[in-house]
Amino acid sequence: MDPFERRLSIDGRLVTRREALAQAVTERAVELVMSALDLNALLDQVDLNAVLDELDIDRVLDRIDLDRLLSRMDLNDIVKRIDVEALVKQTDLGAVIAASSSGVAGDVLDVVRSQTVGLDEFIARWIGRLRRRPYTGPPGPPDQLRPRAGP
Amino acid sequence: MTARAGGAPPVRPPVIARESLQGKYTGFASRFAAFAVDMGVSLGAFMLALAAISFAARVLTGTDIAWNKGDIWVIIAYAAWAFIYFAHSWAASGRTAGMALFGLRVVQDDGTDVSGRRAVVRTLALPLSFLFLGLGFAGILLGDRRRALHDVIAGTAVIYSWDARAARLRFLSRS
Repeated sequence: MDPFERRLSIDGRLVTRREALAQAVTERAVELVMSALDLNALLDQVDLNAVLDELDIDRVLDRIDLDRLLSRMDLNDIVKRIDVEALVKQTDLGAVIAASSSGVAGDVLDVVRSQTVGLDEFIARWIGRLRRRPYTGPPGPPDQLRPRAGP
Repeated sequence: MTARAGGAPPVRPPVIARESLQGKYTGFASRFAAFAVDMGVSLGAFMLALAAISFAARVLTGTDIAWNKGDIWVIIAYAAWAFIYFAHSWAASGRTAGMALFGLRVVQDDGTDVSGRRAVVRTLALPLSFLFLGLGFAGILLGDRRRALHDVIAGTAVIYSWDARAARLRFLSRS
């Protein structure tokens, strides 16, 4: 290869004139072949069931690193996108929750606690107004310090 | 009088209950309400104990014991009982009866369970928060971590430990 041969830039890469020509010819050839091919007809001829029969799904699954896959997914973001309230209203999940939760005493407890929390927020909002500091909800520790919560 | 069809309608929890509050620092009203319940419980139990002692003395010795609430021994006995009530509750489970009722819990600064030593320090420091017209409680209203003076001294904080979101879902599942 002649190191002093003049080079052209293709896709941010410096190549020789011959290489550039070869690339252009190849691209054009592939384009012509693809336009001549009827992919739908080709796919019609493929027996997908036979292909799937040949596939060893277990082997494929063994090769997938689920931990790595999950580490790349933001599960918290996915969970936040779920409208749990709509889910409860529209599915049997509501009945499951109702059946598994406590009775009248538990309901009264929920209401008492909710009302007191509402009062907490009312007071905190007023304190925020007096201090001219916007109140953005109950403060909590950083996630790494988040305590184990109980019932 | 007519009966309401389908029973009383469920009370709607406030909007705040949409969000899970677990682990968030507790506000003033919840802490005050829990403390009021604790005072009621501890005082009620103490008076029951005094009544039981009076009854036993009358049955066994035939003498009546008159308890005077201004009597120094009664005050000392109640202080000792209140110390045991609070310190033991915080050391054992991080919550007193009142705190359990309102879904609150005491934790250490780093979010771990309260140790016995810190529970004792917190109990001993509690009266200090009442000094100067309860100035020690101002931190609950004004502090970023909603800590009273006895929390700062003991290195503790009070958090919500009940799942408000789960409560709301229970409410929705029944409505």
